[in-house]
Amino acid sequence: MPTVAIVDDDEAVREALGDLLMVSGLACECFEGAAEFLAALRVRQFDCLVTDIRMPGMSGIDLIERLRDERAELPVIVLSSVLDEATRSHALAIGAQAWLTKPVTDEHLLGALAQAIASSGSSSKR
Amino acid sequence: MTATLLDPLESDVKGIAELASESIVILDPAGIIRYWNPAAERLFGWPALAVCGTDGAQLSPAPGDEANAWSQLLQEGAWEGRVRRRTRDGDVRVARIRRHLRYDGAGTLRDVVEYARAEPEAPGWTGAHDPVPDRSMAASWEIDVAPAADILARLAPRAPGADTSERDELLHGLVNAAQIVEVNDRTARLVGGNRGRALMAGQSVAAFWPLESRTILADLILEARADRECRSVQRRLASDGILRDPLVTVWRAGDDRPDRLFVAVDGVADDDRSYLYLRASEARYRKLIHYMPVALWQVDASHMGKIYAELRSRGVTDFAGHLDDHPELVEFAAASVPVTDVNRCAIELVGGASVQDLIRPVGYLFAESPESLRRVMIGRFSGRKNYSEYMKIRALDGRLLDVRFSVTYPEPLLELDTTIFSLEDVTERLRIETELRQLQADFSHAARISTLGELTSSIAHEVNQPLAAIMTNAETSLRWLARDEPDIGKVAQLTTRIATSARRADDIVRRIRSMAVKQAPEPVPIALNDVVQESLLFVRHEIETRGIRVTTSYARRVPKIVGDRIQLQQVIVNLLINAAQAVEASCEADREIHIATTAGSKGEAVLTLRDRGPGIDPDHLGQIFDGFFTTKPQGMGIGLAICRSIVAAHGGGVSASNHPEGGAEFRVRLPPARQAS
Repeated sequence: MPTVAIVDDDEAVREALGDLLMVSGLACECFEGAAEFLAALRVRQFDCLVTDIRMPGMSGIDLIERLRDERAELPVIVLSSVLDEATRSHALAIGAQAWLTKPVTDEHLLGALAQAIASSGSSSKR
Repeated sequence: MTATLLDPLESDVKGIAELASESIVILDPAGIIRYWNPAAERLFGWPALAVCGTDGAQLSPAPGDEANAWSQLLQEGAWEGRVRRRTRDGDVRVARIRRHLRYDGAGTLRDVVEYARAEPEAPGWTGAHDPVPDRSMAASWEIDVAPAADILARLAPRAPGADTSERDELLHGLVNAAQIVEVNDRTARLVGGNRGRALMAGQSVAAFWPLESRTILADLILEARADRECRSVQRRLASDGILRDPLVTVWRAGDDRPDRLFVAVDGVADDDRSYLYLRASEARYRKLIHYMPVALWQVDASHMGKIYAELRSRGVTDFAGHLDDHPELVEFAAASVPVTDVNRCAIELVGGASVQDLIRPVGYLFAESPESLRRVMIGRFSGRKNYSEYMKIRALDGRLLDVRFSVTYPEPLLELDTTIFSLEDVTERLRIETELRQLQADFSHAARISTLGELTSSIAHEVNQPLAAIMTNAETSLRWLARDEPDIGKVAQLTTRIATSARRADDIVRRIRSMAVKQAPEPVPIALNDVVQESLLFVRHEIETRGIRVTTSYARRVPKIVGDRIQLQQVIVNLLINAAQAVEASCEADREIHIATTAGSKGEAVLTLRDRGPGIDPDHLGQIFDGFFTTKPQGMGIGLAICRSIVAAHGGGVSASNHPEGGAEFRVRLPPARQAS
């Protein structure tokens, strides 16, 4: 079962996303900050990352940049309430697969996840 | 040409005088002849050259007459009569002359102008059949005794001395009932106060006649009425402090009008020089008052003073209470206290056409605010020196004006019982003040909105978080319900979460709305710690996402304060945003803001907010709270100014300093709530 990592500083959002992925047949693990996620990443494998942008400590953009440098193969979906176009294009330019704004419909999110996981699968096979 | 040295107008006037057929002579205040026209040369037989620069009185064969005429001129300001002058040949010429005093702009006596015509013969100065020897010289009255008809009927048949006290009472009653028809200027000036001639007409003679000589006047009235030949009757009075050895003359106006009588009082003012001085200073005073750039009303409330004295003697001390029981006294004052003079500004203020429009009982000034008149009366009764208040008056052209009304009461011991009202039109000032208050409110609102503007992304983020959770939870619930075996327990859990997130969103929206909505400050008792926590809720996310740490330390025993929660939040939010901007560029270890609450040494609540940024430029420390002072390129420079004005409005203070270990420190002190519990 593909495992999705969720990084969001808001607990209510994390819980809601976790439950949605569970009912949709996806395994998921939630992190309240980028640092916690990076720590877990040393010992674990994830098929996709859903991350917020504005967070205390390391921001979503910083996190994507770190991943691009280290593990380019992990697909990243940004799920944020940031509407700033510059930040959005920056995120996409450095490798984010999708940019979704909160609040997001389940179809949208699950669609983007399916696509990301498929791409991750194909890349790992290669 | 020497003529060019003269003022063009002056030389014109001189030119006209040169051509005049009437003798025109100008004397200086010491009586030295300064100008002598050709007609004067012909009339008095002296060339101008011979007399200019000499004392005019030396031309008189009877210097005593001249001195007398001169002193009367100085008293009255004008003099008309006959003078005799020696000619160059040793003859004596008699001339009918008029003399007038002229004053300069400052009210100082400048010179005397004399016009003269030849008197063909020199009649003896009899005066016995001359009804009024010289109207400008005597204080003359025309009086009507018709209202005293009853008293006259009771007096006529009695023999003098029958019952002295009863007769005296009747004589007083006669003078009391007799009415003034008209008086000349001199009378008005001597005894009329500032009422002027017109205002004396119709009043009782007794109101203006010295008490000690009223029976003499009444006796003379009786005698004059009884005299079939309409001769005049005279009696010398004791000096009354106004005139020396006054002579009173009474005669009937004519057979057809038996109730009309003329009264003339002749005499010399007690001190010529002081009288002249008085005249000059009065002229100066009038000019001063007239041109004073303040609207002034001169009011004669002397009769009210008498009423107050009587009330006091009856033991009235609570005058306000007395007026409650006798509201008619206020109405009486409004209708009976006369305005005796007003100046130019006063006429302008109320939009009158002339002085006459304003010379009436004071009631019109208080028509819009009768309570003000009541307070003015209480002020006088209680012996105040002055009183002032803001009130509304209705101008003569219907405008409603806001004025600052001030009154200076007469000194109780001074004879001159003149009260001065001054009215200052503050309509415009009040309007500007209202606008300023509005502007200030708008300004503060704008500052609040601009704070919100800086927080927009933070706000959007904050509201979107719970919304995102709600949406996802709701859709997840639907998925659980759509299963073959719906998991009701899971749905219940998700629905609970939806409710929690919805409440959170609602809280955020409410907070923002309270900050953005314009509302009057509401002072309530508040705990400073709560306000700090609420303010942090507002900006914590914004600040923390910039990688800034906020640390707090709340003292337990911070005194309660009284204030407006929203305004105080605004102060703290402003200081927090400033601090966040100050540390934003610092290295991660220094991106810290520390907030502390403590109890001050004087029992006040103290909030300190310290950052580890670059600190404040020492040159700017003194002015950072000034409006529109900013070091930020995009800054309006109103944040700290607003902070200061809010804190000041709460009775506290805010100061800024640089911490010895670096960074800026702001300290807000707020006075404790008055101890009730």
